[in-house]
Amino acid sequence: MVGDFAVGKTSLTQKFVNNAFSEKYLTTIGVKIDSVELADTKLIVWDVAGRDSLSPINSSYLVGAAGIILVADCTRPHTLIDLAELWEVVQQRIGNVPATIALNKCDLSDWKVDDALIQQYESRGWNCFPTSAKQGAGVSEIFESLHQKIR
Amino acid sequence: MSKIDQSDPIEELRHLIVGNDSEQLAELKQRIESIESRTRDVAEVLPPAIQKGLKADARLVRSLSEPVSESLKIAIRKEPAEYAEILYPVMAPSIRRAISQAISSLLVTINRTMESTTTLSGIRTRIESAKTGIPYAELALRRSLVYRVEHIYLIDRDSGLLIDEVASSDAQSLDSDAVSAMFSAIQSFVQDSFAADESSRLTDLKVGEHNVWVAHGPRAMLACVIFGDAPESLKAQLYDALDNIRTNYANELVGFDGDSSSFDGLQDYIEPLLQLQLKEESNVKKTRKPVWPWLLGALVLAYFVVQSVSRSIKLDTVEHYFKQTPGIAVTDSFWRNGKIVVEGLQDPDAKPPFAILNSHGIDKELLLLDTIPFRSLENDMELQRFQNELILPKGVSLSIRENRVNVNGEAPIKWLIQNDVRLRQLSEDKRLDISDLSASSDSVYRMLQERFQSESLAKIELTKFVGDEQTLLQVGGMVTDQRLAVLNSMFEQVFWVDVVAHTKAKEAFPKLNTVDKQL
Repeated sequence: MVGDFAVGKTSLTQKFVNNAFSEKYLTTIGVKIDSVELADTKLIVWDVAGRDSLSPINSSYLVGAAGIILVADCTRPHTLIDLAELWEVVQQRIGNVPATIALNKCDLSDWKVDDALIQQYESRGWNCFPTSAKQGAGVSEIFESLHQKIR
Repeated sequence: MSKIDQSDPIEELRHLIVGNDSEQLAELKQRIESIESRTRDVAEVLPPAIQKGLKADARLVRSLSEPVSESLKIAIRKEPAEYAEILYPVMAPSIRRAISQAISSLLVTINRTMESTTTLSGIRTRIESAKTGIPYAELALRRSLVYRVEHIYLIDRDSGLLIDEVASSDAQSLDSDAVSAMFSAIQSFVQDSFAADESSRLTDLKVGEHNVWVAHGPRAMLACVIFGDAPESLKAQLYDALDNIRTNYANELVGFDGDSSSFDGLQDYIEPLLQLQLKEESNVKKTRKPVWPWLLGALVLAYFVVQSVSRSIKLDTVEHYFKQTPGIAVTDSFWRNGKIVVEGLQDPDAKPPFAILNSHGIDKELLLLDTIPFRSLENDMELQRFQNELILPKGVSLSIRENRVNVNGEAPIKWLIQNDVRLRQLSEDKRLDISDLSASSDSVYRMLQERFQSESLAKIELTKFVGDEQTLLQVGGMVTDQRLAVLNSMFEQVFWVDVVAHTKAKEAFPKLNTVDKQL
């Protein structure tokens, strides 16, 4: 799970792994690891601490990843723009691995996503899913989609 | 010398050049071409060749190991019984030894458990077990352990993926994939945070009572989760095992992509690291605290408990019997200075239940009555009081009927007159029922005789008929006003005068005949 600070990576993971959601915001330090069985596959989910202007993403947590879920906050347009930059870091460290994009917080009303940018990302072969960790919309779809790609 | 074919010129020329060697060459050629002779030759050279090869280097062994192992497999499959028989003398002692070792270690565990159940630490362990939900046997074993290697993970350094793992049989089960990822993440975190140098790595980690030791190789790391404090020598063993793995699985480690099926036989290297050491018997004993002070304490405690229970039972008994005693109302009862104090109200006529308490082993001396006198209107008390007060004549008795004291029988008329006021008063107060009390005819007769003595009464006949709740007295003699007054004073109630006959006509009371006269 890779993305900017406070886009909801931990919430998405918790919703998918434990079917739990909390309004409380707790910043992830380092990385959080969870595991979940999906059909015949065991996914080890590395929920990597979010990136902000002060702390770049720790690329050593990316090593060994079979796939990446890029998470953006659909109410903060720059988090979607930043994904391209993050992808550069990923690619430099582990090469081209399957990826999907989660446009999180889609339950909130102020949707500010640049559709042209989404089309551009989709042309790279990334599936984009509007998700809501709070309501559960699109959560299992995004993990299923990545799972299919990895297989 | 062999015979030469003179007719063949080429043969002759060859003979001239190489002489007899040509014959030897032919012989050699024949030997090579014939399988039989070749086999004979190889059979001749093979044993010394093998011996020589074994002495020279390990190549022969390596090249033979596979075919030998394969042929052995086939042979054993073909004749398992035969091989079992051959192997029996070799295997049986070691199997016996292994079984006896397992049983003795089981016995040690059982003994430890048995010992620990009776000691203080055992009780503590039980409480801890109840609190934490960890089985008692597991906790007891942990207490008697110096250390135990519980989990070993072989982790691919680059990806953090688990290559293989082993765990001791009774260790807590963990999500090994997540744990191995976590180790790798911690490793990355520590390295990024503290040291840029590749060689500085996290080697020791302590979590509660668990230690995690990590041995690092260029491709893989071996993480070892240990309960307790393991000796440093285990670290050397970890590195030895990692070195062996590196040597034997070099290619597999380089090409590892998450599929560990190619690491055949890897467990043989890491399983021996699952070691444990129990505490020495003497050490265990030394740490065990003597039980006797506790036993003494328990006895003293038991004595006080018994005392307290016995005191409480005595108090309850006293209160019970006092409450049942008529004329005593208990408001409180308690122990004070070794005596049972009973507080409340007591009728002066009430008798405290000393006798019955004595039969329960409670002496009168033990009791201290602190009571205020009062009049009890309980039936029993009233009965007792009337008995003392009224001095009942013969023929009169007291009983309790319909929740009231009832006086019944025939009393001498003198006694009735004497107690008249008192009896009426009691009846009005509803304390005494006097409806069943009547005068005895004898006493009435005697009184009439006394009263009529001065008069010239020829005869007094007193017959008593009882019927229709009426008492009929027959008085023979002259009836005057004065005499009627006497009768009136005696009975003070409605009575009938039945004139049977009269002697003096002018003094007669014809009017009175069968007339209801109330006087």
